[in-house]
Amino acid sequence: MIFEATQRTPLVEIESDRCLVRGECYPENISEWADPVMQALDEGLNQSEGAFTVDVELYYFNSSSAKFLFDFFDFLEGASEGGRKITINWRYRSDDDTMQEAGEDFEEDLSHCFYNLVVI
Amino acid sequence: MTKNTRSDETVALHSYMQDRQTLFCYSGPMNEELLTTMSNPVKHQISDKETQEALSRRVFGVFIEQAQNIIRYSHHKTKSSGDSIGTIAISVIEDGFLIEAVNVIAPEKRVSLENTLSELSTKDQEELRALYKQRLRDGPPDDSVGAGLGFIDMARRVSRFEFDFKNTEEGDLFIYRGWVT
Repeated sequence: MIFEATQRTPLVEIESDRCLVRGECYPENISEWADPVMQALDEGLNQSEGAFTVDVELYYFNSSSAKFLFDFFDFLEGASEGGRKITINWRYRSDDDTMQEAGEDFEEDLSHCFYNLVVI
Repeated sequence: MTKNTRSDETVALHSYMQDRQTLFCYSGPMNEELLTTMSNPVKHQISDKETQEALSRRVFGVFIEQAQNIIRYSHHKTKSSGDSIGTIAISVIEDGFLIEAVNVIAPEKRVSLENTLSELSTKDQEELRALYKQRLRDGPPDDSVGAGLGFIDMARRVSRFEFDFKNTEEGDLFIYRGWVT
């Protein structure tokens, strides 16, 4: 499943073994955009039982989208707790302190997923 | 040529904006669609070659949050569409940018807004970061339309900010000024 990037929403690609989120995220209406993404993620995860890799590379997200990301990671953590092997790569530019801190903060709530902070 | 003395007003407006280096200013009804349209020129204006990308991203972040605050909380709405009325501007200052915003707020919201912002203005970056995390986990306070994170997000991106309230014929004005340096 592919959600094409728009000016205010990131590209999202979801397959049975991986998910990519890349771009900027400050949608006009967060739940209108996020609900189908979460549903697709749920379906993607249920297509197989193997390892699942999530790459998140965001350059900007607003405070409403922070809540979406929190729920997104919470969902992955739940699946991981249920036995699924999930790796999350939080990718950020070396000069981007804001995204580095965000990546570090999301990591704090994840104990079952493998989590990597990746400088690009 | 028609002599038009009112043209002085237009020149004054031009000169005022030029003198204070206001590179973007919008005043009027706002909604999310308009914000989408405004985002690109704003991004373009604050991302010239001499400006560090990290700095422009912080300015952009404050602009988006405050524009959305106006859209969600302005108490002054157009009769036809119900769009929120407010003013938002970005100006160049010596070492960065100044983001200014004005909108009418509901009189009963003033105390809680004042308390929230007063509290935020005393916190350092680490405390703001911790508060943001906590609010993300706990969810929004009862009186918030969004996640209640907007002003914390803004406080993290600015070097300092000021706020004020003024009673006018238009209503209770909320005034925000944030410096990104």
